[in-house]
Amino acid sequence: MVSKKSCLREPLIIRTPEGLYCPKARAHIDPWRPVDCALITHAHADHARAGSRLYHCALGGEGILKKRLGEHDIQTHAYGEVFILGDVRVSFHPAGHVLGSAQIRVDDGNSVWVITGDYKRDPDPTCPLFEPVTCDVLITEATFALPIYRWPSMDQVMDRLFSWWDHHVRNHRTPVLLCYSLGKAQRIMAEISNRSDRSVLVHGAVANLNLEYEKQGVELCPWERATESKTSNSTDLIIAPPQVADSAFLKRFQPTELAMASGWMQVRGVRRRSTINKGFVVSDHADWDGLVRTVKDSGASQVYATHGETRVFTRYLNDCLHINAERLETAFGIEAGTDQ
Amino acid sequence: MNFVALFQALDTSQSTNSKRDALIAFIRKSDPLESALAVEALTDRTRGKRLKPNVLKQTAYLAFGEDGWLFEECYGAVGDLSETLAILFADQETSPEITQPVLADWIHRQEKLGQLELGELTNELLLLLKAFSKDEAFLFLKLSSGGFRVGVNKGLVHDAVAQAVAMDRAIIEERLMGEFIADRNWLHRLQSPVTQDELDARPLPFLLANPLIQSELSSLDPSTVLVEYKWDGIRAQLIKTRETIRLWSRGDHDITEQFPDVVDAATTLPSQLILDGEILAGRPGHLLSFSDLQTRLNRKRITHNLLKTHPVFFRAYDVLRSDGRDIREKPLIYRKEVLATLAVNQSPVTFPNTPEQIATIRESAREASAEGVMIKRRESPYVSGRKVGHWWKWKLDPMTADCVLIYAQAGHGRRASLHSDYTLACWTSDGDLVPVAKAYSGLTDAELKAMDRWIRKHTVQKFGPVRQVEPQQVFEIGFEGITRSTRHKSGLALRFPRILRWRQDVGANDADRLAHFETLMRDSRAV
Repeated sequence: MVSKKSCLREPLIIRTPEGLYCPKARAHIDPWRPVDCALITHAHADHARAGSRLYHCALGGEGILKKRLGEHDIQTHAYGEVFILGDVRVSFHPAGHVLGSAQIRVDDGNSVWVITGDYKRDPDPTCPLFEPVTCDVLITEATFALPIYRWPSMDQVMDRLFSWWDHHVRNHRTPVLLCYSLGKAQRIMAEISNRSDRSVLVHGAVANLNLEYEKQGVELCPWERATESKTSNSTDLIIAPPQVADSAFLKRFQPTELAMASGWMQVRGVRRRSTINKGFVVSDHADWDGLVRTVKDSGASQVYATHGETRVFTRYLNDCLHINAERLETAFGIEAGTDQ
Repeated sequence: MNFVALFQALDTSQSTNSKRDALIAFIRKSDPLESALAVEALTDRTRGKRLKPNVLKQTAYLAFGEDGWLFEECYGAVGDLSETLAILFADQETSPEITQPVLADWIHRQEKLGQLELGELTNELLLLLKAFSKDEAFLFLKLSSGGFRVGVNKGLVHDAVAQAVAMDRAIIEERLMGEFIADRNWLHRLQSPVTQDELDARPLPFLLANPLIQSELSSLDPSTVLVEYKWDGIRAQLIKTRETIRLWSRGDHDITEQFPDVVDAATTLPSQLILDGEILAGRPGHLLSFSDLQTRLNRKRITHNLLKTHPVFFRAYDVLRSDGRDIREKPLIYRKEVLATLAVNQSPVTFPNTPEQIATIRESAREASAEGVMIKRRESPYVSGRKVGHWWKWKLDPMTADCVLIYAQAGHGRRASLHSDYTLACWTSDGDLVPVAKAYSGLTDAELKAMDRWIRKHTVQKFGPVRQVEPQQVFEIGFEGITRSTRHKSGLALRFPRILRWRQDVGANDADRLAHFETLMRDSRAV
């Protein structure tokens, strides 16, 4: 087939010191250094960095990107809208990771490449569901590419969260849920809103992003900024980024009880090595089944795994599914420790 | 409340108090057979392995078919066989049963499984796991394969049982350490009336010394004190009642079982006696090191051979009860006279004339295999706790060495994300770096943070959580002693090593050589 040969001879996407690059589009994808034209999958710090001249992102992601990068020249595109960049057709497709997250499809008429960025297959009330895109070459993340990572349903997680929350309120402790301030926090707040009329207090970093989500029409549970006057004599849950675990921010809510919402919480030892007592298994990344399903859905004959458990994942694809797979080293997922 | 609920409470807490509270609530509220079996499991009394680790692996391999390597990857990431199987095979969507007792049923199932042929067993186990929730599967496997740990030690369980039945801790510990039958009547038996002999066998509160501040030495009138060496052993009370001989360490821990040789030697002593002293390794004329003493601790069985290779004895320095009379109110010199009438090894006493003499005795401590001196007021009663003005301890300065950082690992608790656990090395005569110590503390928070940044930038290789770093940073470490060790590459083991200083002024090439430690060891005669 022509497409296969051409992608071998002339890859649509290559790796340069600045990041993944599509020469035919003269554009980088999630570059880790400033470039002329950057296509952005989503606004997390390891994928969206400041300093490039022009940014393209999916509609809905612009506000967050501005909050993260400051004022930049940003062009937005509706999911599925095809636009021409150099000699290729480019389109953004839902990745289900966070608000405005996208897979990027690049098509030069001979072959189709898809860069997934970070993604998950599970439903999330704050962003459209992941949409499988067929392609010849798939460049995928592999953060949780081990069979131990299987996510429980959100119903299960929220049941456990609510009973933990109530238990500690009854015992006069302030429950504090640590989670990534962009995406995870809003997802949990939207799930709370779907199930109850409970309200939360949030750290400033979360509050800023909440406003942006609400501007985009995402319905969150009632929330207020945790300020000096808002102390712990309420039944509210506090939602804050993991960095505050040791900070003065939590002092005024003492006694506090800490929990972490992250895919890493699947393993007991990971939580036990931290100072956090309780873990909830919630991730905005695909679990093992989600990753495998995505490769199969794409129909790709060649897969590159960019970050996470790439060694295990590529071996599995090669040995067990007989799909050509290679590791592709990138700077994604470098801010390890937080499950973005 | 059942065992699963207890586990969840223990597992989601890092505070000893709340763990204890959870245990107390469990003992009070749960089915008595459930609590009996739980106490048995938590105090390491489980009757052998009902399922061998190999069976767990075979079960996983059965499920993974040709992709056994993928299971090994999972096991590597989780680090615990039972947990790996629980994550992979249990039903994540079900919630565990947390009220009805489970342990008797589990033990029954484990015993039945244990009787099956391997092929049938792995099939059955897989089916069983699929019906469990994650926590249940984890606990079921943990309990069946032995070595169950949930961050709760025996002492804490004894504490909790004592509080749950509102009885004296030492008596409960004595009773739990005897024969334990895990049945519905365990709590009744535990609460039977306390006998006079049981009361007599309880330890009394220890008198603890305060560190001597240098300036205190000059204001101290030598004629009011006596001096003895500070022995490097385990502080203990040796109690002889009419019926029994008991050894208690600080914190009311009964350590009698570990030291049958001390008990044997005490049989000739008069009964109704309490001595305060130190358990030491070696023989009175030839002491062995503290690490030799450590090999005697936490053993399931004290073998005949171990008693020969690592003998211990009790060195007394005080009498608290003599002939059934409590003499703690009497002055120390009186108690010393009573002690002198007993046929027991005793700590030699000096009555100093000058402060300089005290300092001289301290200087000779290392040579005597001691770690410093104790200064005790001659008229002091035996009070409880760390009261000022009775006993002082004046330790030797630590030995020191400059070592090179070669490995770093993230710490725990407050230091969970900081690389704060260091492996330090010195140079061999061949010019290689060989690890000599692991040290955890001694740097300021700012220094730790700076080092953490440096470590992340200068990592050569990662082994799981451990980072090998470029050999550039030098630290001065302090330690209390050196012994030969076959377990360490360097052939040396340091006692209580800790970081004293970050030597930013010293290059890695100028760090100490192995020969430096050999010299220190020869000088201290602590071989």
